[in-house]
Amino acid sequence: MILQLFKKKKELTFERAYAAPIAAVWDAWTRPEMLRQWWGPEKTSITDCEVDLRVGGRIHIVMEAGEQMGKYQGTRWPMDGTFTLVDTQRALRYDARSWTEGEQDTTTIDHVNDVTLSEDGDKTVVSLRITINEIGSGAKMAAFGMKWGYKQQLDKLDTYLSQEAQ
Amino acid sequence: MDATTFAALGEPTRLQIVELLRERPFAVGDIAEVLSIRQPQASKHLRVLREAGIVGVEAVARRRINHLRAEPFEQIDDWVDSFERLWEIRLDSLGTFLEGTP
Repeated sequence: MILQLFKKKKELTFERAYAAPIAAVWDAWTRPEMLRQWWGPEKTSITDCEVDLRVGGRIHIVMEAGEQMGKYQGTRWPMDGTFTLVDTQRALRYDARSWTEGEQDTTTIDHVNDVTLSEDGDKTVVSLRITINEIGSGAKMAAFGMKWGYKQQLDKLDTYLSQEAQ
Repeated sequence: MDATTFAALGEPTRLQIVELLRERPFAVGDIAEVLSIRQPQASKHLRVLREAGIVGVEAVARRRINHLRAEPFEQIDDWVDSFERLWEIRLDSLGTFLEGTP
């Protein structure tokens, strides 16, 4: 039973259409000087950005929390990955780990990222699939598996708790 | 994300207790019996789970009944949601970047 918990995965999928040529979208995703301009959310800066665009090449990006993030200021969130597929202006895949610097043991997320580009008239469609394979240590993974693998039981738990509350 | 949640779940016996409590609430004596552990040991693990906010307890007649609490599991959910939100923001930001590119 407990072993089953470790096999669970979570997938995030996104699809966006941009009014830009496919070449521009590809460059934005693969050229470090462009990538660093949009990768970090507001209030963060990109301190490191390396893209070695070939199968087996490295993608390494570090986000750092800026002054406006208050108590998080200076917190660094690295991502380190390896390209497993590079199909120019069509598809990218990289296996990566993301974590909070200094808390690697408990915050690391292992994820596989599939980026697919396609043309739709004068738009470029970006499809992104992120498969999260593991979170943190074994304990975290178990908790994670519980959340998604046993949704039904948790629904039962919710029902139980709402009955308790009455 | 609260590391104590994971530290508490990281011990195999405690994870078994959580598994058991998913079925229904249990008194400490029943937990000890089902898992074939001594009652003081079960009490010790339950204390850690209570301190981490994973398990709650209520008195029913003279028995103390242990049950799972939803909050820590919701926290785990929130934590992964934040990863999803980060990507939403990032993809918006890509759009803004592309608009500014000739």
